[in-house]
Amino acid sequence: MPRRREETPVPREGPEGQIAVRARGLRKHFGAIVALDGVSFDGPRGGVLAYLGPNGAGKTTTVRILCGLAERDGGEISILGRDVRSDPLFVKSHIGVVPEASNLYPELGCRRNLEYLGELYGLPRAERRGRAVELIEHFGLTEKAEQPFGSLSRGMRRRLAIAAAIVHRPEVLFLDEPTTGLDVPSAKSLRQLIRRTVVQGTTVFLTTHNLFEAEELADEVAVLVGGRIIAGGTVAEIRARVPRARGVSLRLSEPVAEDVLRSACPAIRSAGLEDGCWQLDVTDLHETLGQLVEFCRRTGLRVNEIGTRQTTLEEAFLSLLTETTKPTARGAS
Amino acid sequence: MRQLAQVLAISRKDVESYYGKPPLVTWGLLLPAVLILAVYLKDRDGYLTVAPGMIAMTLLFGNTSMAAIVITFEKRAGTLERLLLAPLAAPAIVAGKALSAAAYSLGTSLVLTAGFVVFLGMPVARPGVLALGLVLGAGTFSVLGIVASVTVKEVFEAMTLMNFFRFPLLFVSGVFLPLSQMPGWARPLAYLSPLTHVVELLRLGTSGTAGFASARVLSGAAAGFFFLCCLMAGPVFRRCASR
Repeated sequence: MPRRREETPVPREGPEGQIAVRARGLRKHFGAIVALDGVSFDGPRGGVLAYLGPNGAGKTTTVRILCGLAERDGGEISILGRDVRSDPLFVKSHIGVVPEASNLYPELGCRRNLEYLGELYGLPRAERRGRAVELIEHFGLTEKAEQPFGSLSRGMRRRLAIAAAIVHRPEVLFLDEPTTGLDVPSAKSLRQLIRRTVVQGTTVFLTTHNLFEAEELADEVAVLVGGRIIAGGTVAEIRARVPRARGVSLRLSEPVAEDVLRSACPAIRSAGLEDGCWQLDVTDLHETLGQLVEFCRRTGLRVNEIGTRQTTLEEAFLSLLTETTKPTARGAS
Repeated sequence: MRQLAQVLAISRKDVESYYGKPPLVTWGLLLPAVLILAVYLKDRDGYLTVAPGMIAMTLLFGNTSMAAIVITFEKRAGTLERLLLAPLAAPAIVAGKALSAAAYSLGTSLVLTAGFVVFLGMPVARPGVLALGLVLGAGTFSVLGIVASVTVKEVFEAMTLMNFFRFPLLFVSGVFLPLSQMPGWARPLAYLSPLTHVVELLRLGTSGTAGFASARVLSGAAAGFFFLCCLMAGPVFRRCASR
């Protein structure tokens, strides 16, 4: 069924002061292509809003509109209570942006890059020098302080790009796919840095298609597909929206054939064996446990290990995505 | 005051990143010097007729080419977007970029002029008018170069676009031929060219005589073109820089 316009989820109205980033009915077209089609969301002040969506969903377009880099065709936005269209200088002095591609000056050293950006944001000389040194230390780049940005590794560039975005201590930080292309240790250390930034009181608007990252960092989630928000809320609320099977992991004392196990426990929808441990998708947890106990009692098998598995945000996201894209294909940016 | 500090910061950074590099300085000096030397060796008495035009040509080509390189490079690297994300008005960004480009071409043309004075005996009849011509030329062509190059993405596109107006301007602006010797149909076009007024100011500054107007009229017209370019620059930059 194609989704009707009235179905677009509108966030619960929160107190104005608690919302740092707000969009209502945001629209953007590129010729005949609809990039954003009535997008609404709220980013809580001092928290992390993860803006999720597959490639081409319209995430970057949203960020560019919120930051004043692109014009919108319709709708309202407010950042800290102001619209970037009517008050660009206020909004720009209170936000920091880390675009998908780290875009600092390749020929300038790390320290000089930060000092220059501090200057553009009007920091006095002594303050910007101190801030550059502080951030270089904080982001673990002390030994590379004088090295040109262009000669740094991808992970270091990403770290410096984040440092550059917070040089003026913005209240809202936009992170567009911050860990894309990074190796696992670099991505992990970057997530730790983001968490530390949030602890210091910065609101983070995180666009990503990395669900693990969103699950780890986000307070609120908005799921964008084909230019429309298809779900919004906390990570727990998004998980709960998915009417899917529960997961059970089970290790038995003796090997059992899958068909034997499934015939004994009809509540099992699918089963897979990983390192001697059954990973089961079940329709009803209570029913499954009863059937398993009965099966073990009857066969004399022992349960060596059993546990339930929570629905991950990734599973919830994929389920929402399937649900949305199944009936109709939509164009986006 | 804060915007002025930001304009100066952009200019300083650009000089450090682009304009202070030896290849650019030598490029800005060698090409016009070689051209004028060639004319000087051919006609030692007549070279003064073309020297002001050559200096103005240096300003036009130097500024617009540099703007094309810097702006398209920054667009591709995404660093122009950094400026658009900072709390800066579009005219302040243009001013910062134009100031450094103008400083570069002003520097090279001053060295060039000094070289002609010292080594070729070029007179400087009215130093104030000469300086005014250099400043207005550098300013106008810098802003013009930025406006043209911000509308495209690649250097070659910027160069192609600019050649559409640079070469016709050379032809109609009295660079190689004084206005008095130009055909009648070309003169109205000459008056519409900013390059004409810069060439005439430089001619007046060096030889003490101009082809068609007083220093006041020429500087008024050149300043008018400069302000026109500045007025145009803000909206064009705002519309095209983030594309």
